Order: sequence, then structure tokens, then C-alpha cells
Amino acid sequence: MAVNTETDVTAVLLAEEKQITARSPLQLFWRRLRKDKVAIVALGFIVLLILVAILAPVIVALGNAADPQETNSSALSAFGAATGPSGEYFFGVDNLGRDVFSRVVYGARVSLEVALISTGIAVFIGTLVGLLAGYYRGWVDTVLSRLTDVVLAFPILLLGLGLAAACSGVDGCAGGLIEPGLPVVITVIAIINWTYIARIVRGQVLSLREKEFVEAARSVGASDRQIIVREILPNLVAPLIVYSSLLIPANILLEAALSFLGVGVGAGTPSWGGMISDAQTLFPEAWWFMLFPGLALLITVLAFNLVGDGLQDALDPRRN
Amino acid sequence: MAGFIVRRLLGGLLLLVVVSAVTFVIFTVFPSTDPALLRAGRQPTQEIIAQIRIDLGLDKPYLTQFVDYVTGVFTQFDLGRSYVSGRRPVADEIFDNLPATLWLTAGAVVLWLTVGLSIGILAAVRHRSIFDRLSIGLSLIAVSAPVYWLGLVSLYLFAPEGGALGVEFLGGQGAYQIGQPIGERIQALVLPWCVLAASFAAIYSRLMRGSLLEVMGEDYIRTARAKGVSEGRVILRHGVRSAVTPVVTVLGLDIGILLGGAILTETVFNVPGVGRLAFDAISRGDLPIIQGTVLVGAFFIVILNLLVDVLYAYLDPRVRH
Amino acid sequence: MSRSMWRTMLALVAVFAALFVAACGSEDSGSDSDSGTPAQTQEEGGGSATEELFAGSATDNLENPEDGVKGGKITILSGGDVDFMDPGKTYYTYAIGIMSALHRGLYAYEPGSLEPTPDLAAGPPEISEDGKTVTIKLREGVMYSDPVKRAVTSADVKYAIERAFTANVANGYAPIYFGDLVGAPEEPGPYKPIEGLETPDDQTLVMKLTEGTGAAAAGALALPISIPIPQEYAEKYDKESPSTYGEGFAVYTGPYMVESDAQGKAVGYVPGKSIHIIRNPNYEDVDDFRPAFIDEYDIQAGNEDAAVATRRVLGGESLMLGELEPPASQLERLLEEEKPQLSAVPGGGWRMISLDTSRPPFDDIDVRKAVIAGFDRNAVRQQRGGEALGAIAQHMIPPGLPGFEESGGFEGFAPEEFDWLQNPAGDPDLSAEYFKAAGFASGKYEGGEELLIVGDAAAPDGPIAEITEQQLQEMGFKTKLRLVTRDTMFTKFCNVPDSEVHVCPSVGWAQDFADPQTMIDPTFNGANIPETSNSNWPELDDPAANEAIEAAKLETEPGPRAQAWADANEAVVAQAPGITYMWDYQSLAASPNVRGVQNGYSTTWDLNFTSLRP
Repeated sequence: MAVNTETDVTAVLLAEEKQITARSPLQLFWRRLRKDKVAIVALGFIVLLILVAILAPVIVALGNAADPQETNSSALSAFGAATGPSGEYFFGVDNLGRDVFSRVVYGARVSLEVALISTGIAVFIGTLVGLLAGYYRGWVDTVLSRLTDVVLAFPILLLGLGLAAACSGVDGCAGGLIEPGLPVVITVIAIINWTYIARIVRGQVLSLREKEFVEAARSVGASDRQIIVREILPNLVAPLIVYSSLLIPANILLEAALSFLGVGVGAGTPSWGGMISDAQTLFPEAWWFMLFPGLALLITVLAFNLVGDGLQDALDPRRN
Repeated sequence: MAGFIVRRLLGGLLLLVVVSAVTFVIFTVFPSTDPALLRAGRQPTQEIIAQIRIDLGLDKPYLTQFVDYVTGVFTQFDLGRSYVSGRRPVADEIFDNLPATLWLTAGAVVLWLTVGLSIGILAAVRHRSIFDRLSIGLSLIAVSAPVYWLGLVSLYLFAPEGGALGVEFLGGQGAYQIGQPIGERIQALVLPWCVLAASFAAIYSRLMRGSLLEVMGEDYIRTARAKGVSEGRVILRHGVRSAVTPVVTVLGLDIGILLGGAILTETVFNVPGVGRLAFDAISRGDLPIIQGTVLVGAFFIVILNLLVDVLYAYLDPRVRH
Repeated sequence: MSRSMWRTMLALVAVFAALFVAACGSEDSGSDSDSGTPAQTQEEGGGSATEELFAGSATDNLENPEDGVKGGKITILSGGDVDFMDPGKTYYTYAIGIMSALHRGLYAYEPGSLEPTPDLAAGPPEISEDGKTVTIKLREGVMYSDPVKRAVTSADVKYAIERAFTANVANGYAPIYFGDLVGAPEEPGPYKPIEGLETPDDQTLVMKLTEGTGAAAAGALALPISIPIPQEYAEKYDKESPSTYGEGFAVYTGPYMVESDAQGKAVGYVPGKSIHIIRNPNYEDVDDFRPAFIDEYDIQAGNEDAAVATRRVLGGESLMLGELEPPASQLERLLEEEKPQLSAVPGGGWRMISLDTSRPPFDDIDVRKAVIAGFDRNAVRQQRGGEALGAIAQHMIPPGLPGFEESGGFEGFAPEEFDWLQNPAGDPDLSAEYFKAAGFASGKYEGGEELLIVGDAAAPDGPIAEITEQQLQEMGFKTKLRLVTRDTMFTKFCNVPDSEVHVCPSVGWAQDFADPQTMIDPTFNGANIPETSNSNWPELDDPAANEAIEAAKLETEPGPRAQAWADANEAVVAQAPGITYMWDYQSLAASPNVRGVQNGYSTTWDLNFTSLRP
């Protein structure tokens, strides 16, 4: 789902240019963010979620819940039907008798890990490509931009599915380097995402390199590398943070979608999307199996979206 | 203008060829399962497998296979043959499923444009009001929920057989397939339309709102007001007209993506569209079909991108450089 | 960058790291599952639980299958398509069920009986004492559909069997059951007449065999391979590689046919999508057992989701399920609410988790026995519906087949000798004993082998594979589980000995025809381990078992044959080749206005006997 946010960032840079006060744009950014109560609450929730993910075994033990991988045939009916929420199983069990509560808690690990790592990789690659293309221009720019165009031409989900499916054989891809399961998902998501970052960074760098401070640095004899690292990169940090914060929730949903469609993380590993997928056949009888992972996804993505919104507002208050 | 269009067309064509190459690499070079083995049936002997390899052209070097494939695609629209359903041409399978996807997309687009744009305009006009804040909040939620989950929840609530709030006239899972007369099929599409349109409506309302807010601050709006034009006309004729440009751009891209098949919605509601075809093919390991749907999806995106670029150039001459 | 930003960055990095480390542990955690109480005893008469449960369902229609009213149209929802519409090529029972409405082969199975009924044949086959000659007499006056305007002759059956051996048809059953025909080709190749098939006159077929395996050859005549094919019509299609007979063109001898044009082109068959079946205008009832009530069948493939299809069928009109089964977990509710529309018959087969006996660790019989003894077979059976849908399989001959009773029926062979099979819930103590006998003093597996487990991703096989992995982990094994599509599982892994898969949890076998040889020979005979499409998943090659199997093949009298196969059965089971966990029933559903009759052999709705309620 494409969102045309390029206009926002240009506005940001225009605003920065007009700043005359002594405070740096980043300090102002931080100050504005702190005033946005909704974003702070959402950020707090995200921190909480990260803690839940790290401390999953502790939480499961506290709630006296079963291990997420433990199948328990006695939790099922004689016919193999799953039982619903009860005193023993807060969120009910799935079709193998596994505790849905434990799986939802552990599912946070997969969602966060995949989203954060793949976004990190995408941002890294995208920034690199965008920097090179925007700064050096010429044929470097042409080649890299065409490459970006090619990747952007593909239907995202289908491409992700196809790649994941092609690499899901027992031997994986690239001669066994990319094993099916978590590594495939992270790779696929990173491959899809770097293009957005690359486009945006390129646009940023294109305008940044014409600025007075860059010219000034060049006239003093600074090398390309020094200019990039000292003048350009710092100005990219704020928009990069904003765009990462937009990408992370999208990637959480993307991982969930891939798991939902059956090409996500491996069989037993709890993943919110995978759980919703399993719930499809048991539904509508076993509604708990579908409800709780879905709510977890909703709340998590919402929190990230709120933070992202707050960050965007902090970066450019003119938006509202 | 003509030169611009021709340049873009050629660029688009080149892009399509490169896209075909990448698709070919992903789906023919990468995978580990020997396609001849998959097609050979129950008692494959070495001779049968060898014969099938020759049949499928797998014995030729990759480059030849690729050239054959690309020429086939562009000249005869031959996208190869399915591994599973008795060597049925992939193109036939895709065209069989395209109408369902078109119906799904068209209905959803109409729905999300009407709802999204009106909410966006109202929110911009009633800037900072409760309505505004509510609309932002609701759209955030709509964007945060996974589409297929929303679909399952809506089925749980509204499916006629067994739904909690079972409403008679809405179709349940698989209803589209049974419905023969158009009326029944449309009935079956109401839920999928709503679910698919939900997140898009959210995005478009915010997009419209942001764009309109920006436009409303411009000088010519103030001029129009000063000239005594009614507020309604100012908003609709001057404001919305300019504000709608980014919306059109994004609309083109989104339609391009959806024409490739809304896999998630189609799977949940069992709508036999292109997305569903791709998903089934993936479950069965039917690589030619996956390859074909990815290619067709990419085609739509490239073509719609092109249209949007041309439209944009038409509207804004500065872009044509 | 401001200090607070740096702090935030560092914190984020620390968080990344912690998450990464934490998650790396979670993928490998496999812990204790609920192991059942060892005191559980074997249930008696396991099959009766299902019969009781389904009393009052459409299965009752099997008592009077000929009651029905002519007329009407039914739509059948199936998941996959038929493998082939060519009776010479088709292998799976789903297609065989459809064939029985379109064609008359030499013998067929009427619903409710596993005794073959003479169909095209005029009477039962005559098998010589030495088992080397089989003589069948054909009925006269059975006509083909357009454009072949003549009656069926024995030469047509001869051609049908001969073409099954050709590379362009490559029938999976031909070499197994007819390979002993004099002059039968060793390898699939071009068409050549087979000496051992003689047609002294138009109504007589004589099979001459090199070995005394006449009983099996006669039994195999119930397969579609014996459906007559007119050579002059089919030849040109059989020249294609692979043959295009059936895909586009075919002729029919049964009461029904695929909608075709005057040349026999099957316009009603859209591969992968649908099959439109109508009445055969050339059909004349020549001593046919088929009442053929329904006028038209429309088979729609592509219904991947059994749950959705079941709901549509039960809530609709004139709909039936093809080979899909109502999901086991919903059966409880369905049996309460919609019993008359359901039906279940024994599936005529077993389900097994196979263990590769050709390599460590399962080349040691004590390890195999340890695994089977400690395995909770109930948990796995539960995924297929539990006790309600079938008994725990104690050996390789399912209920209803000759040799079942001789093998000890539901209880199986002598409990003292076959102690590892006595506790379907799993007996940890006995399991530990066997591990110790194998040299693992701790009572669990201590070796270094990592087990490769490859299963079918689709439910219920996927969950069963996961449960299997967990139980093996508890016994001390390191495991690597891969879930793939069913096709890939067979063609790339489990059917390919070289792929070196240790455990195949999604395999099973159903009778080719109602003879125990079909359950044991292709699956446990050491002589039957080809490089591809191997069905002897455990790769069992035990001299004693092989001998018993070869001896049993030569028995022709029903009584001694049943006993001989029970002996072979015992020899195989004694080798503990895998965890057989169920003799399952196949359940089906149909709409309220359908009077469904389920065929006991194909386990699908019998198209010849089903009708609409008036």
C-alpha cells in the first residue's frame, strides 16, 4: 500500500532551512515528541511488548501455562476438537492441544524479531544504495535506480510468497545458506523493503548535496567520504527514524501475512499470523484460536503506527 | 508530450523484459525440485522423466529456455503450462480467474473512494474537531488490523450460516463460487468488498485530509474566499480539485497491485480470483502458475505506473523535463 | 546528535541483541508431552465404536442400496482432480470410483461388499490348481459409445492389459500383478502383444503365467486395468508420449459417460476443473448390477478447504463431497445435527509412521521396538478423529480383508511376543528396556544421528508430523522436521530411497483390491524397492518376511491363502518396520435431499447407486 510521504519530508527540510534559533532541529524534534502523549503511551506499550518477548518464559511460568510447543492430547475432545478458554488454558488450546496463551506470548518474539531485523537490514541496504545513487549520480545513479524500479515493479506479497516458496524446499536457497523458516522470511522482507528507503534517501541526498554547508565543506577540501559521513548522514537520521517506524508495523503485518499463507516461520514455532491461519479450518467453532493472536497483532501494529505518527508530527508540525 | 510518452513506453517495455528475466530466475533456476519428476506421475522411470524433460524443454541451456519463454510471453501470450492440472496453459488459468479479481477490485475501489475521500474532506474541513480526531483514530485501527483477520472476524459475525449475528443476505465463505446469477455473486462480494476497502479507506481518508489541509493554506484559496465564493464551492471546486492529485497517483498504484490479486482477501472468502490461484499454486508447488501470476501482477503494476506518470505529466507540465 | 538520541539508539541496539539471543533458544525447545497411563489396555472390537456412532446415518443405505428413484442431477465437490481419465493409467481410488460408473471392467465391487461381482465377466474366474492359468468368460452384447459401434470382445481386454505395460501408459499396477504373464515386458517400452494373454474366441480370455500367482492376477482384474479398450480406436492416441487417450478422447461401456461429441472427444472434461458426466446413449443393460438412478453428475475440483466444502454440502441441495472428508474435529457436532447426511465405511487400509530400516538409528530392531513401544499412538489417531473413526492398527491387514481374523483381528498377534504393540498410549518403561537392549543405558536414545522427518504440510498430516517430532525428541532424538506439499513429499523424499529420510509420518496404504497381497507385497517386500516411486517406505528387506510373502503369493485356495498371508503379516510385523496407528474409516457428507450410498471399496459415494430423495 503506497503512501505518498515524500512531500512531507521536503516540507521538513524547508522548515529546517527557515530555523534561525539556536536549538538544533533534532532537539526540537525530541521536545515536540515528548509533548505528544499518545505517542509516548504507545512507545511505552512497545517497550512493554519487547519485555514480554524477552521474558516470555518467565511470563508463561508465572501464569502456570504450558510450554508453547507442548502438545497435549488430553486437552482435546475425543474427536480431536480443541477446547476453549478455561481456568487451565486462559486462551484455550489449538488443534494439537497446545496452549494458545503461551503461543501468543512467544509469538511476540517472532513478530518483533523478524520486523526489527528485516527492517534493520532493509534500512542499511536502502541507505547505502540511496546514498550512492544520490551523491555520485551519473551512471551509478542510473543503474541503482533502474534496479530499484525492477524490484518495485513486483507485486509485493506475491513476490514474497514466491521467493519463500522457492526457498522452502528442504535444501533452502543459495546452496543451503538460507534455511527455510525464519531466515527466509527475514531475507524476503528485507529484499522487498530496501527499495522504499533507497528511493527516499536518494531524494534526500539529491537536495542535500546542493546545500550551502556541503558546498562549504567541499571548498575547504573535504573528501567525498568525509562529506557523506559528516554532513549528509546526520541529516538523514531523523527521516530514517521516521521511515523505519513506518516500516516496522508494515513488516510485522507482512511476516504475519506470509505465515498466514503458510510460507512463514517453521512448523512448530509460534507466529501470530500462522496461528490465525491454523484457526481457519477450525473456525467458527474454535473462535479463541483466531481472536487472541489477531488482537495481539492489532494492538502491536497500532502501537507502532501511533509512535510513527508521533514521530512524523514531531518532525514536521505543519502536518497537523 | 508525445516524446515523453514514447520514452516512458520504451522504458516500461524494457522494465517488463527485465522483470520477466528475474521471474524466470526465481522460479526456474532457484527451486530444487525437478519439474520433470513432479509431472511424471506415479511410476516414473528414467526414460519417462527424460522424455518429459525434453517435452518441457528442460534439457536446453538456461539462456535458451529463457529466450523461448520471453518470446513466448510477448508474442503469443504463452505463459507456459501448469504442472498439475493436465498441462493446462497458464494463461488460460489466469484469464479464468481474472473476472473474479476484477469484480473484487472494482467494488472495493468504489467503496473506499466514496467512504475514504468523504471522510478525509470532512475531517480536513472540521479540522481538529472530534470528528477529525475520531477519524484519525479509526483509520489507524483499520490500518493496523491484518486484512485476513478482519475477514475472519466479519465472517464470524456476519456469515449467514453460523455467524454470530448471522445476516441472511450476506454470503459466507465460498459463496461466490456457488452463486450463479450475478445478483448472488454480488451478494457474496459485499463482505469481501468491505473488508478489503477498510484499510484502503483509512489510508485515503488521511491522504485526502493531509493534501486538502495543505492546499487550503494556499494563496489562491484565500483569494477565492475574498472574492466572495461560497465556502462549499471553495472547498469542492478549488480545494479538492488540487488536493486530489496525490490521491490519483496512489490510486493508480494501488489498483495495479490489486489487479495482481488480493491474495489475503481472496483466500479468506474463497473468491476464485488470481490471488487465490497463486496461493493454491504455491500450496501445490505449481511453479509455472506462480511464475505466471507474478509476471502478470508485475505487468499490471508497470502499466499502471506508466499511466499514472503520463497522467501526472499531463496535469503538471513541469514533470516532463 | 543529542545525547538522549544516542541513549535511545544504544538501548535499541541492546534490545535487538537480547531479542536475537532469546529467540534463538525458542526454536529448539521441545519438552514433555502428556504421556498416557501405561495401564491402558487394548480396546476390543475397535471397529464397532464407529459402527455405533454412525448407526442411523447414510451408511444404513448399504442395507438396501437398490432402493432409489430415477432422475435428478448432483454436483460433487472434490479437492483435487482425478489423476487420469484413462482407465489404463489411473492409480488412485478416487478416480477408480468414477471409472466404475463410466466403464464395465471384468469385475467390480458393489456397495456393501468386498466380494468382486462379475461385471463384464460372465462369472468368477477359473484359476488352475497350479495357479498358472486364469480363464474368464465375457458377457455378450456389451456395447461401446460413439464412435465405436460394436460390442466388446476379449481382444479389447487383452489390448487394455498390453497397453498398460507401454511407456506411454505406464500403469502402476501392471508390473506388480500382471508381471508374471508369459511374455510380459520387463520395462515399460513400446507396444508389443503379450503371449500370455490368449483369446481363443471373442468371449474368452486366458491368462498364462510363469509363476503360480494366478490368485493375485485374477483379483487384479477388479482394477480399471481390465476395462476394455478398442485397439483400432485408441491406437492413434496411444502413439503419443504420454498417451492422450482419456484426456481428450475415450469410449465408454457403462451407464454413464463423460459428455463427448460424436468423435468421442471429451468436451465435458476440463482437466483440473470439472468433469461433466451424462447418461451413455449407447448403453444397454446387459445383466448389469448398476441401477444408475441419477441423470447427470457435475464434478467440480478445486475445493481445497474440506471444512468449507462440507458446510456448503450440508447446507445446500443436491451436493456431495468427492474424496474430501468432513474435518474430524467437527464430526462430533455434525453427528449430532446432521447424521442422516453422513456416512462412513472402513477405509480398507492402514496409516503408518514409517521408520527407515536401512540406516542408523533404525537399522537396529531394538531401537525400532523402543520407539513403537513408547509412542502415544492415541494422540496421533486423535488428529484423525480418535476412536470414533477407527481402531489402532496392530498389523498390516485391515478389517474386512481375508487374513484379518487369522492375524488376530483387532488385537493382533500374540501379546507376549509382540509386547511393544500392546500399549497404544505408550509404555515408557518398556520403551526404556528396549533402548537399554540396544545399548543405551539411560533408557533413551543417546546416539548422534539427527532424524530427518518429512511430512505432508496439510492437516491432519501436518499436526501429526509435529506430534511425531515431539515424541521422538522426548525419546532423546535430535530431529529436523520439514513439511512440504504431498506431491513433493512423495516424489522427492519418501518415495525416493536415496533421499535418506528417516521418518515419513504421512504415509498410508489402502487395498488395491480385496486381497491381503495388496497390503503387504508392494509395501514390505524386499524385492520391491525401486529407485523412484518406492512404496516400501521402511525399505524392509528381511529374508524371513520376503520368503513368507513369496510363498503366500502362490496360494490359490481362499482359506490357505488367507492363512499364508497372515503368516507373512506376522513376519513383517515382527520386524517393527513402523508405527502403524490406525485402520481408519472414510467419512463422507451429502446434502439433505440426497440418498447417498457409499461404496466400500472406493470409499467414495457410489455414482451408480446414489439417488435423490423424492
